[in-house]
Amino acid sequence: MIAWTGRKTVEGVAYAADILFLGFLAFKELFSPARHGRGEASRVIVRQILFTGVDALPVVGALALMLGLIVIIQAGLALPQVGAGEFLANIVVAALVRELGPLLTAFIVVWRSGTAMCTELGNMRVGQEIDAIEAMGISVVRFLVMPRMVGTIVALACLTVYFDLVAIIGGFLVAKVTLTIPFLVYLEDIGRALSVTDVLITVVKSALFGLVIAVICCHHGLSVAGAVTEVPQQNARAMLNTVAACLVLDILVSVAFYVR
Amino acid sequence: MGTAVIELDRVMANEGVLAHVEEFSLTVHGGEAIALVGANRSGKGLALKLCAGLAAPASGSVRVLGVDPSAASDEEILHLRRRVGFVFAKPALISSLSVYDNVAVPLRYHTELPESAIRERVMACLAECGVDVFHDHLPAGLTMGGARLVALARALVSDTELLCVDEALFGLDAGELVRFRGLLEKYRRDKGLTIVVSVNAPTSLFALMDRLVLMRDGRLVAVCPPAEASRVDDPMVQDFFGNN
Repeated sequence: MIAWTGRKTVEGVAYAADILFLGFLAFKELFSPARHGRGEASRVIVRQILFTGVDALPVVGALALMLGLIVIIQAGLALPQVGAGEFLANIVVAALVRELGPLLTAFIVVWRSGTAMCTELGNMRVGQEIDAIEAMGISVVRFLVMPRMVGTIVALACLTVYFDLVAIIGGFLVAKVTLTIPFLVYLEDIGRALSVTDVLITVVKSALFGLVIAVICCHHGLSVAGAVTEVPQQNARAMLNTVAACLVLDILVSVAFYVR
Repeated sequence: MGTAVIELDRVMANEGVLAHVEEFSLTVHGGEAIALVGANRSGKGLALKLCAGLAAPASGSVRVLGVDPSAASDEEILHLRRRVGFVFAKPALISSLSVYDNVAVPLRYHTELPESAIRERVMACLAECGVDVFHDHLPAGLTMGGARLVALARALVSDTELLCVDEALFGLDAGELVRFRGLLEKYRRDKGLTIVVSVNAPTSLFALMDRLVLMRDGRLVAVCPPAEASRVDDPMVQDFFGNN
């Protein structure tokens, strides 16, 4: 048991070190003065933003609307019963903007884009495409990881803001059927409850989630050794580890910024 | 004879249990064309990767274009690989990029040429390889021979000094083989390209080669001009040339 715990701990530390190192290399490439290949990287970044961000708008919008509706109806009905009806906006900001928005958007991106990234890179490994890229003297991190990381960070930050807007406004408009609060009063309350810091922390948190998703999924895709059967296995590991990493990161950010 | 482009001295290497080479020594000079010849699992693919600096030896020394890959920094390795064109047995084209973009990738990453100059060079190279009509296709739409010719175009489009082709015959039909051979001849004649190919069957390509390196079980059996190869007294060689 002790040996197993020790082995797992060592493996965990080595895994975290690999992820951090890959993230470091990707950032290094991002700020590298070398101009060569920037056009190609820009094309991949745009493609990644389109796939991760624009293509996900309908599903993120639908989820945001439904979740906003649930939170607003439940809070709007329950809070007045305990004499705290005026705190609806505070609950909406705390639940939707600070926590559920970034987290659920990140999960959608993990399921859509994270799996796609991991599968694509895994298949590229199997098809010797990555060997060919290395054989051409092109850095795999510069060619494959860095553009995906940047694209995912940008797309996820934008998607989270979109999620929050749809959840707050759309959710309320739909919930209006059962609630008696006027829309303008609700908006004023939201404005008072929502600080600039909340918005900044949400965007920073989303950017960190984007970074974690891209780096972990790329790491697992690149870890495929050569068999096609490894691709779904690495995909499953990437999904689990990414979701866990996002949750841990969320706790750390929340504790760092909100616990006084 | 030019300076030594590849120097392998008593190299031992392995790729897991799949392939190994033992006590392998070979020197290839600039502008030379040689073929690593042997049956499947004879170690010629691994020997080819050693020649290109893509595999690390367990022991012995390797120098490719004057660089020892196992002692070189990452930057030196990247620089070395820009000078070496390698065509894998599988074409290994980037599946999400068009044929044109696949061939343009090394120029976009290693040169500061404007896109117009890149386009001119890439289309010329694709035309030489006879695959320019597919320039806007994705690799999935190509035949194996077509994809390998695109991979050859990608390897030749930069100022390559050493070209390594794994399983040179794989997937090529008769016409594609003639074109492939013509291209090797042209680049060798016009640009002094050093060529190393691996093959697992007798081929008309032998006529282009200065030497054949005959291999069995990861070991070098003989190095000789093509005309003398069929007379090498070794059962594998006799089988290979159909003398048994």
